[in-house]
Amino acid sequence: MSTALGVLARFGAMIGLLLVNGVVLIYMLRKVLGRLHLRIGPNRVGPWGILQTINDVIKLLTKEDLRPDSADAWLFNIAPFLIFVPSFMAYIPLVFGPTLAVTSLDTGLLLAFALTSLVPLGVLMAGWSSNSKWSLLGGMRAAGLQIAYEVPLLLSALGPVMMAGSLDPVKIVAAQSGVWLGFIPRWFVLPQLIAFVVYAISSQAETQQTPFDMSEAESELITGFANEYGGMRFSFMYLAEFSNMFVVSAIGTMLFFGGWQLPWLATPAWLAPLVFMAKTYTGIFVMMWARGSLPRFRVDQMLSFCWKVLIPVSLAWVVLWACIQRLWPVVSVAVSR
Amino acid sequence: MWGSGILNGMRITMRNMLRGPITVMYPEQKLVIPERARWAVAQLYDADGNPKCTACRICENECPDHVLSVVVSPIEGGGKHIDDYVYEVGACMMCGLCVEACPYDAIEMSHEYELATRDPHDLVRVLLHDVDAASPRRVKGGDDA
Repeated sequence: MSTALGVLARFGAMIGLLLVNGVVLIYMLRKVLGRLHLRIGPNRVGPWGILQTINDVIKLLTKEDLRPDSADAWLFNIAPFLIFVPSFMAYIPLVFGPTLAVTSLDTGLLLAFALTSLVPLGVLMAGWSSNSKWSLLGGMRAAGLQIAYEVPLLLSALGPVMMAGSLDPVKIVAAQSGVWLGFIPRWFVLPQLIAFVVYAISSQAETQQTPFDMSEAESELITGFANEYGGMRFSFMYLAEFSNMFVVSAIGTMLFFGGWQLPWLATPAWLAPLVFMAKTYTGIFVMMWARGSLPRFRVDQMLSFCWKVLIPVSLAWVVLWACIQRLWPVVSVAVSR
Repeated sequence: MWGSGILNGMRITMRNMLRGPITVMYPEQKLVIPERARWAVAQLYDADGNPKCTACRICENECPDHVLSVVVSPIEGGGKHIDDYVYEVGACMMCGLCVEACPYDAIEMSHEYELATRDPHDLVRVLLHDVDAASPRRVKGGDDA
């Protein structure tokens, strides 16, 4: 098989996974939120409403593509793709199994975080170019919050990276095989619990899930930056949101929960992707659970929480862990003498 | 403090999730309406199928929304004739004061709650039309004696 064909096949697999994820996650979100609120959720289109999302996709595809007269046409048209493309490309460094990944990169984790951090740029662009107060406010909030929460997100990823000694997701996952003390799975979540909590909170903010959804804020900003969008462009933004959810959950799985590996048991290659997807979807479920439970915070509360709590905690943890990791060999040698 | 409120909230929503939905798939499944529920006003009839209404018009006077109107004409030789007993269900707030005021138990708050209609004229109902009113005099040995 030629290289070009291989690249094309990988590209197709990525986009297929993204679209299937989008459809499944939208249905899952509605069902989970419904059940959390003692409702049934979608139940009309198809058995148990499973065709509801397909229905919505068809509706969005066939809608008229409107653009406000006073919008900045060029930026308005390009913004959804600037939101969508990075979240699509962030699938590249994900490791679905021992031999199953789009490509192996030494700095895959860095690439994933760099790509997800491009999303607020597109959001700000969409907000500004719509020429509407709500959209602009949403875009500004996205710029303020998502860029702020990227700092603790990156710092919290440093702990597992230090333990694995690599930025390559394959090596980070491989470093989590086996057990500690004979029975504890070597998942980085146990020693890195503080880093994991910081990661969980800031990834929720990074994907604009409800306690931190200031840029959309339906009750204040009427979906904020996406206000003036409809049809295909809106569905790109919507899809990117769910794709980001999958990406941060998958990265969290790789960093803290042993990626595609089962605890205690050797994982056969055919089972690895299923284990990975199960862990990732569990993470997504927890995000949806928080989304269905918590009210939206105020902007200033969120910003001060990020700058005054999360960033100092994650910085201190990075310093502390670096010291522990450097001193541990010295101490253990000294103790054993 | 320290996120305990967040954890408590998430515990409550998880408990809700495990409890299962309390809503039902409405047109296919319907909940049982409690006996005390008050919906559209309906006439009551005696064993012979005659309306119990005596055309005293207390319900009409009592109604705070003026949704009831009883058009009455006298019968020669005594008694009353109800030309129309009109009920504007679209303006009714289901307070039930008319039923409480009725001295003859001639009307009730029914359990008919599916009141949506495509035709606005359906919101004005003629409950009785061109019938003789019941006699207000209590019959000796009868039900009311």
